[in-house]
Amino acid sequence: MRAKRLIAAATAAAVAVGIVAIATPATAAIDICKAKNVKEAGGLDNLIKAAKKEGKLALITTPRDWANYGAIHDAYEKAFGVKVTVDNPDGSSQYEIDTMKTAPKSKQPDSIDIGPLVVAQLTPPGGKPLSTPYKVINWNDIPNAAKDSTGLWYGNYGGKLAIVYNTTLPSVPTKAADFAKPEYKGFVGITGDPTSSNQAFMSVLAASIGNGGEKNLSDVSKGLALFKAVKAQAPLVKVNGTNLATGTAKLGFMWDFNALGIIPAAKAAGLDLKFVYPSDFVLQAPPYINAINAKAPNCANARLWQEFVYSQNKGKTAAQLTAADLKLPGSKLFALMQGGQNYFQQSGADPIMSAAMTKKKLLVPSLLDFKVPSTAKIIGPATIADVLTAREQIISSWASL
Amino acid sequence: MTSQVIEGGAPSRGRAFLASFIKNILPAVPLLLIVGFFFLFPIGRLIYVSFMSNENTFTFDNFKTAVQEPYRTGFVNSIKIGVFSAAIAAFPGAIAAYFIETRGSSKLRRTIAVMSGVLANTGGVPLAFMFYAALGIQGYLTKVLKSLGWDLYSGTFSLGSFIGLLIVYLYFQLPLMIIVFSPAIVSLRREWSEAARNLGANQFNYWIRIGIPLLFPSFIASFLLLFASGFSAYATANALTVGNLPLTPLQIGGLLDGNVSAAQLNLGKALGVVMIVISACAVIPYLAIQRRSAKWQKG
Repeated sequence: MRAKRLIAAATAAAVAVGIVAIATPATAAIDICKAKNVKEAGGLDNLIKAAKKEGKLALITTPRDWANYGAIHDAYEKAFGVKVTVDNPDGSSQYEIDTMKTAPKSKQPDSIDIGPLVVAQLTPPGGKPLSTPYKVINWNDIPNAAKDSTGLWYGNYGGKLAIVYNTTLPSVPTKAADFAKPEYKGFVGITGDPTSSNQAFMSVLAASIGNGGEKNLSDVSKGLALFKAVKAQAPLVKVNGTNLATGTAKLGFMWDFNALGIIPAAKAAGLDLKFVYPSDFVLQAPPYINAINAKAPNCANARLWQEFVYSQNKGKTAAQLTAADLKLPGSKLFALMQGGQNYFQQSGADPIMSAAMTKKKLLVPSLLDFKVPSTAKIIGPATIADVLTAREQIISSWASL
Repeated sequence: MTSQVIEGGAPSRGRAFLASFIKNILPAVPLLLIVGFFFLFPIGRLIYVSFMSNENTFTFDNFKTAVQEPYRTGFVNSIKIGVFSAAIAAFPGAIAAYFIETRGSSKLRRTIAVMSGVLANTGGVPLAFMFYAALGIQGYLTKVLKSLGWDLYSGTFSLGSFIGLLIVYLYFQLPLMIIVFSPAIVSLRREWSEAARNLGANQFNYWIRIGIPLLFPSFIASFLLLFASGFSAYATANALTVGNLPLTPLQIGGLLDGNVSAAQLNLGKALGVVMIVISACAVIPYLAIQRRSAKWQKG
């Protein structure tokens, strides 16, 4: 009986679907809000046309001085005549997730940029995903480990942990194990609480591989031991812009891609800061993640933004675009602009498609004046599974270190 | 006119109620709305959510986790810093308030009142920065002390340690004590001390039998306010520490607004509920003392 009813229902559904399919002609089938790639959005020209018409792109927690985001915003605004707004630039990844879950439509972001440790929250078990699938034109160049196979999220850019130090230190630190040297007592620290800050979390991982834990990224006990040894001499200081610029903090790990923002600020305060990569093991951290919000208010811009951020083009920045360039049809204009991946590259971050781009000779030079030493071995990137195991270790022992 | 006549025939209980409502309740409605909306509703909601799992089912798990490590140490440290900073600030603050109010010129009193108001509200990153500049490892005062032969940083001292944080908290706790305790001093009437003297009491007798018992409830109330301010301070501690000194407000912040923890929002809310319970427990002895002193004041 029940089976019969099911079949009847299934038939009805099939007929309904059939009717819809027949009734909708192919050309009118474009619904950009449901497009899972540029083809479904009617091609790049159509997408750009729709994006210009919307005129707005709502971003969240992408500060201008982080990984060159400011230059990317500027290029996007100028080229497509779209107003880019950034809600709570210095907010956390958790803030982004909470906003997607609870904010009213007018406050919803189009696209998010979150840390790898909160990615699992995009797909709550048994619930509806918070993001919507989309695969950029260059999808195949994103390494498989750094993307969701259905396109719900995808790695964007990664960073390596560099050692930041004040040149007034009695000697030049070259590796993580140096942190525990007595001559640095009282000046060594971490960017924040590793149980809540991603950069601080990765600093513990970087300390771990520099202190004998390079074989196993999921076990950070060596990193915790190193910070414990530092703390035994004096409490850890907070390594942030202010404390570096006042000389309160003089040594710690930091993202390489924030060096270009930190060094000039300290110089203005009269202090000389230097960034170096550890001479033994350098941690390649898991990438930051991009995704389109399922509730994105500007469907076309949400998608065009992904295409732009994942564009591998070498080309013109905002300042170099001429009035004539701006009159070009959408896809031609897009082709002559420098893509987002190369903006990340300039900041010293590692664009997620750097391997493919190196092969295609599309990478522009980085603006950083420090390089990974030839003696050093790059470890990683750590997988999500690794960092989740490490997280439990850090949460259970950091407070009582 | 007609309607009045008809109503006039009916028993006037409804109108009496309306009158009493207008007289007694209506003026309080704006306040009740504000209290309800900004106080009772959030607390109710907080308690409700703290019993929810991530799947929105009822659970005690959040509270089970909340009383385990590292959160237990967080509570112990937060209570400790609240009690210590309040205790250290309360006595000198009370004595200072007494001398300012009774011996100070009106100009001094006004100046102190304004200064205390500003200092008691100094907190967060600016306060942390001020202390780094003064007592930080590169601080000015640190250098002066060092030149005098006392190296603050020879041991394990740091502004991010418990002692360091305590010193920083005193900076806003002392003026806060002066602000909240001064009205109590003012309410000690000169006539009482004169009357006591006329009846043969000396200064000591007056304080033991009249002054201190009358000031005691206000002192405890001020102490509790200081405790609450030290117990729940967030921004200053956040600027000075990196998670090695577990404090509940920081742990809640990490859970609600971190980049690392995974969907433990409701645990953060459970920690918040425990904080409310601790604050409520601290008020109970005050209520007992208040009741006794009310009896004295009437008698």
